[in-house]
Amino acid sequence: MDDSARRLLQRLIRRIPAQMLKTTLEKWGRLTAAQKQSMDFTEPKWAFTERLLDICEENGWTGKHITELEMTYVIDNPNQGMWYAFQLMDPEDDARSVELTHFKEQFKSHLSELARPVSVKIKKHADDAIWIRIAWGDSFSRPNHLKPTYVVHHLQTPYVFVTSLTSKQKPFLSQALVLSTRHQAIKDASLSGRKLGAIRDLLMRQYQQVFPTSYPSPLAERNETVSNPQIEKEQAKSAENRLQMACEAFGDGMLPQLQSSVYKLETKFKDHTNKTMTEREEPFRCVVKFASTNLLESLRHCAASGIASTPVTPLLSSIPLKGRNYFVIKDNGPGPSSQTRQTQN
Amino acid sequence: MDKRREDEEEGEEGMDEDSEDSELLRLMARHTQLNDLLYAHHIIGGYDAIETRQGQGLCLSLPTAYDGVFLETYNLEIDVKPTPRIVRHNIPPFIPLSDLVEQSDMQTDLRTFLDTLSQHLNAFSGRKQQLKLLKELHKSVEVMESNALCSILVMMVTVPKEKTDVLCTLDYSDHTRCLPTRVHFECNGKLLADSPDWDKIRSLLLETPVHKALSDMRTMGNIV
Repeated sequence: MDDSARRLLQRLIRRIPAQMLKTTLEKWGRLTAAQKQSMDFTEPKWAFTERLLDICEENGWTGKHITELEMTYVIDNPNQGMWYAFQLMDPEDDARSVELTHFKEQFKSHLSELARPVSVKIKKHADDAIWIRIAWGDSFSRPNHLKPTYVVHHLQTPYVFVTSLTSKQKPFLSQALVLSTRHQAIKDASLSGRKLGAIRDLLMRQYQQVFPTSYPSPLAERNETVSNPQIEKEQAKSAENRLQMACEAFGDGMLPQLQSSVYKLETKFKDHTNKTMTEREEPFRCVVKFASTNLLESLRHCAASGIASTPVTPLLSSIPLKGRNYFVIKDNGPGPSSQTRQTQN
Repeated sequence: MDKRREDEEEGEEGMDEDSEDSELLRLMARHTQLNDLLYAHHIIGGYDAIETRQGQGLCLSLPTAYDGVFLETYNLEIDVKPTPRIVRHNIPPFIPLSDLVEQSDMQTDLRTFLDTLSQHLNAFSGRKQQLKLLKELHKSVEVMESNALCSILVMMVTVPKEKTDVLCTLDYSDHTRCLPTRVHFECNGKLLADSPDWDKIRSLLLETPVHKALSDMRTMGNIV
C-alpha cells in the first residue's frame, strides 16, 4: 500500500466514531472472520489503525479498497457537511428510459474526458439511490482522495444532491450529469441542508402532506383522543383552524429537518418615519436568515400556536411548496419568474 | 299527496305546519341520500373534489388501488382563475405531471387529464405493490435492480435442474400499465436462446403480475 493510501486509511479511521467502527467494517465485508476476530475495537485508534494497516498489507489491498470503505461509511452516515440540491432541466425524449449500467458508463466516460485525471466510483444503494464518489486531480497531480466530492441521484427524477464540490469542479460535474442523464441543462435548486435525507424527502415529497378533504382517508386509523368532558377549551375552533392551516402549509407528522432558510432582500426601504432611507433610489439590501434544529417543525408550530399569522404567508409556505430555502426577493411586480417573488396576501 | 289532502280536510290551522314539516323532512331525506351517494363515490375511489378559498381553488384526491387493496392517495390543488393551474400536489417527481398538463386542456376537459393522471398513478402503485409482494413472498429471488418509477426490474432466479442462476429483466416501458412490455433472460452473460420452456415463462411473466408468476413458476418447478 502506498503512502497516500495509508494516509487515507489513517484519516478515515480517525474520522469514524469509535462506536461505528465495527458496523462499518462489517458492512464493508472485506475482512475474513479470522481477521475480524483479531481486531480489538477497544484499543486506541492509532493502535487499531496499525492493526488494520497490517491486514491491508497481508491482503494486498490498495487505495481502491480504502475508498470503498470510505464510501461504505459515508453512505451510512451522510449527514456530515452541507448537501446542495440541483435540478436537471429539459429532459430529452429518452431521459425516462435511462437505465443504471448505461448511466454509469456514460457518466464515467464523460467526466474522465472533461476532467482528466479523475477517479470515479459509482455504487447503487438498496433504495435506488446512485452514489458517486469523485476524487479530482489536475495536470500536476493525481486525484486527491482526501477531498472527494459525493453525488447522489435517483434515476428518472430531476434531482441531484452534492456535497464537497468546489466552484472550479462544478462545471465538469454539471456537464457530465447533463450528458449522462439525457437532459439539456442543470440548475441550482436553491435548497441546502446538513441532512441528505431531509432535502431529498422534501423534493421527492416523501413526507405527509395535508390537503383539504371532507373524508378521512380510506382505512386510516383515527386516533380519537378522548377529551375530558370536564375541561372545555376556549377558542377550540380557531385553534383547530390554525392547526389545519399550519399542517396544510407545512405537512403533518415528522417533517424533513432543514436547518435554515435565507431571504436575500433587494427591495426598496419603506418606512414613513424615515425619509432619508425611503428616498434612496437603490434597494436596501439585507439578508434575513431563519435558523433552527428543525426549521419546518418550528414554523409549523409558530403558525399553529398563533405566533405567525394564518393563513401562512407565502414567504414561509414556499419553503416546502417550492422545495427551496434560499430566496431572492425583489420589488418587481408579481411575475412568473422562479426567483423574484412578492408577498401576495 | 293523499295524506296531504286528508290533512287539508282535517283542519286549516294544522295544514301549513304539516306540509312544511313534510317538505323539510323530504329535503332532509334527499340531503342524506346525496351525502351517502358522495360517500359511496368516495369509497369506491372516485376523485373527491372540494372547493377551497371561497371558490378560487379546487382540491382533488386521486386514490390508487391494486388487486382490490387501496394504496396511496395523491392530491392536487388547483387554482381555478384565471386559467386552471396546479398550485400544490404530492405526486412523485418521476410521474410526468407537467407533460400531462401540457398535453391536455384543463379548462375544457379536466376529466380527461385526471383520468390519464390516475392511470399513470394507479399503474405506478400497482407496479410498486408487485415489487413489495415479490420481496416479501419470494425470498429466494434476488432483486438486482429496480428504480423509483418501478419501470424496470432485474431479478436473479435459480433453475433447479442445472443449479444455474438466470437473470430476468422485465421492462415496463408502458408506464400506464402494471405488466411488463418486454422480458428477457440472461445466463452467464449471454441471452438465452429461444427454447419452449423459456418461451412459456416469458409469456407467463408478460401476462401475470410478477409475484404471482413467480409463485406459478415455483409450483411448476421451473425455479427454486
